Amino acid sequence: MAYCVQNRGIKVTNRKKAPAKGKRKSTPPVAACPLADPEAHGIRQVMDAEGNLTGDLADPELPKKTLTRLYEMMVLVRAIDDRGWILQRSGRVEFWIPHRGLEAVHTAATIAFDDEDWIFLGYRHPGTLLLRGVPLVQLFAQFFGRADEPFKGRRLPTLMGDRRANVVPMTTQVGSYIPHACGAAWAAKIKGDDTRFLAFFGEGSSSRGEFHSALNFAGVHKPPVVFLCENNGWAVTTPTSLQTASATFAEKGDAYGVRNIRVDGNDPLAVFAATREARDLAPEEGATLIEAVTYRMGYHTTSDNPDLYRTPEEVAVWEAWDPLERMRKYLENKGLWDEPREADLWARCLADIDAAVHEAEAMPLPEPASMFDDTFAEPTWMLEEQRDQLLAELEPGE
Amino acid sequence: MNVVKQRSRKSTMLEAINAGMAHELENDPDVVLMGEDVGRAGGIFRTSTGLQQRIGSKRVIDTPLDEKGIVAHAVGMALYGLKPIVEIQFSGFIHDAFEHIMFCAARYRWASGGQYSCPMVIRAPSFGGIKGGFWHSQSVEAYFVHHGGIKILCPSTPEDAYRMMIAAIRDPDPVLLIEAVPLYRAMSANFVHDGQPTEIGRAEVVRPGADVTVLTYGPIRYQAVMAADDLAESDGIDTEVIDLRTLIPYDIECILGSVKKTGRVVIVHEAPLSMGFGAEMAAVIQEKAFGYLHTPIQRVAAPDVPYHFSIGDECYRPNAHRIGLAIKRAMAFEF
Repeated sequence: MAYCVQNRGIKVTNRKKAPAKGKRKSTPPVAACPLADPEAHGIRQVMDAEGNLTGDLADPELPKKTLTRLYEMMVLVRAIDDRGWILQRSGRVEFWIPHRGLEAVHTAATIAFDDEDWIFLGYRHPGTLLLRGVPLVQLFAQFFGRADEPFKGRRLPTLMGDRRANVVPMTTQVGSYIPHACGAAWAAKIKGDDTRFLAFFGEGSSSRGEFHSALNFAGVHKPPVVFLCENNGWAVTTPTSLQTASATFAEKGDAYGVRNIRVDGNDPLAVFAATREARDLAPEEGATLIEAVTYRMGYHTTSDNPDLYRTPEEVAVWEAWDPLERMRKYLENKGLWDEPREADLWARCLADIDAAVHEAEAMPLPEPASMFDDTFAEPTWMLEEQRDQLLAELEPGE
Repeated sequence: MNVVKQRSRKSTMLEAINAGMAHELENDPDVVLMGEDVGRAGGIFRTSTGLQQRIGSKRVIDTPLDEKGIVAHAVGMALYGLKPIVEIQFSGFIHDAFEHIMFCAARYRWASGGQYSCPMVIRAPSFGGIKGGFWHSQSVEAYFVHHGGIKILCPSTPEDAYRMMIAAIRDPDPVLLIEAVPLYRAMSANFVHDGQPTEIGRAEVVRPGADVTVLTYGPIRYQAVMAADDLAESDGIDTEVIDLRTLIPYDIECILGSVKKTGRVVIVHEAPLSMGFGAEMAAVIQEKAFGYLHTPIQRVAAPDVPYHFSIGDECYRPNAHRIGLAIKRAMAFEF
């Protein structure tokens, strides 16, 4: 327990330095959390901040095993984030993209889809792979850029996926892959398959042309795809108010004839309910745009400094709506959770992460020759010549 | 299929492209054709005439007007296992889709460690000579040859168009097919429509010669042959003209074989001069055959300005006269 309390107490994100004297003249007023007044913001909820049913969206009444699995995954995802941050700050991982506060959306949406369904992943979504059976050590091997992970160390830490789990890695230009998901769904429809598709992206991506292309094509051709827009408040340093003048991101679906819904993204059961319904309706209704209203508690990446653009007061407003706390309270209200289980879970998560870190870090880096692989199905003479020359030049001299 | 029993058919470039797509659409249910106006109308050049009527609107698709969206959706289709043929109406409109061609389609295999791939064909109607001006006469190939992951083909005969189309559709990697708009209806040729693909990566010696090598591709190759024929008559210069046919991967054996024989090189393309495909040709020839060269490599290309509407076809686009001057420079140069 001490281990777990200590870990959870580490404020690894949003560590606040005292501002230079006179730099900030007055603290701007802090807006209330929109989740506290869901009706005013058109946000659909299953539970309130204390894990009590609000009576708005119906409780999907998931089996006990599913509920505890979902919560356990949310905790593991947070523990991974805590460790990723420390590994980066201690120089063992080159780069980290934190996901604190964003545990609910991707885990709940993932279990709302079947394992044969395809998911186009964003980059704050380790839970999706784990829920589909990918071992934890494979994730850490990816974070460390090791040779023996599906993408052979070629991608930035957390830009993950795995075809064996039907999880497509994102193209890193955020939002560019939204029409890829739509096109893949369209292909399944053309082939007569029953596969459904889910694409995660952030609210910043909705400003890209690809978002509009995908919704436009989806409105016309009705592919079985769910567009899940995680509105986490900030696109790097840009707030939603500078991203769009629309009142919501969900309503952008109206312009394209795409059904849409706005849900509480820190309420995993609301996310599940909306996503599962969208998935089930997809063969008949085509696409759905879901806006999940949530908040990025952490930095954009380890190369970011949120102190330049937001206040600790704003973060504190959202702390009260922490998705982990709410889900835990929901489980406690149902008699499915208690302190000993909580302590045991954190201890297990940390032990599993320790083991995965040690195993992954010991794995070898990719061989230089491997960077030429997979450029084409068969390498061209041009690549073979460049590879041979590079390898010869990398040989240590006499 | 018994090739012997098949009659050869006279086809224009347009008909050959149509026949190549039709053959694959009819024989492979995973092939789809998509683009602006390609279905009901058969494309603005009519390259896909009748295909939607034969195959159906599910697989021959009229899309919204959105080049980026068309290619991006095709990328997704390819990831799932279809083989899309994407028509960009004019190559001058392709730039909006550049990211999805070069950094998505051409990168998915590498970036996924070989787990995913994007076999697809992007058709780019290109080149001048149609009074098209800036947006409708572009030669865009140099923008796409900078890194691997995509193959670049450029047919300039009806039979090449047919066999390259089939090869491109069957290729496991994305292929950019540079189509020659000025040749669509300019010629016809007899060949057997037997569904056989060409071998990607092979150049063709169009006109054998001993004195000087002209390396070119696309419709300008006919101007090169005209120049060679004229100079043979007027100056007794024996020019070899090579149609590269494939830009990535280019046929290094054919190129070096010719250069080592003639020792003089003229590179001709319609695209602008600076950092064009000719620059790479010149670089690789001097790296691999420096000792064989008798004179400096000459280039004939468009200037680094946009394609002019009213006088571009005559003054901007290289022609036989300018190619002839370059051949004479290559022959007469003295150190």
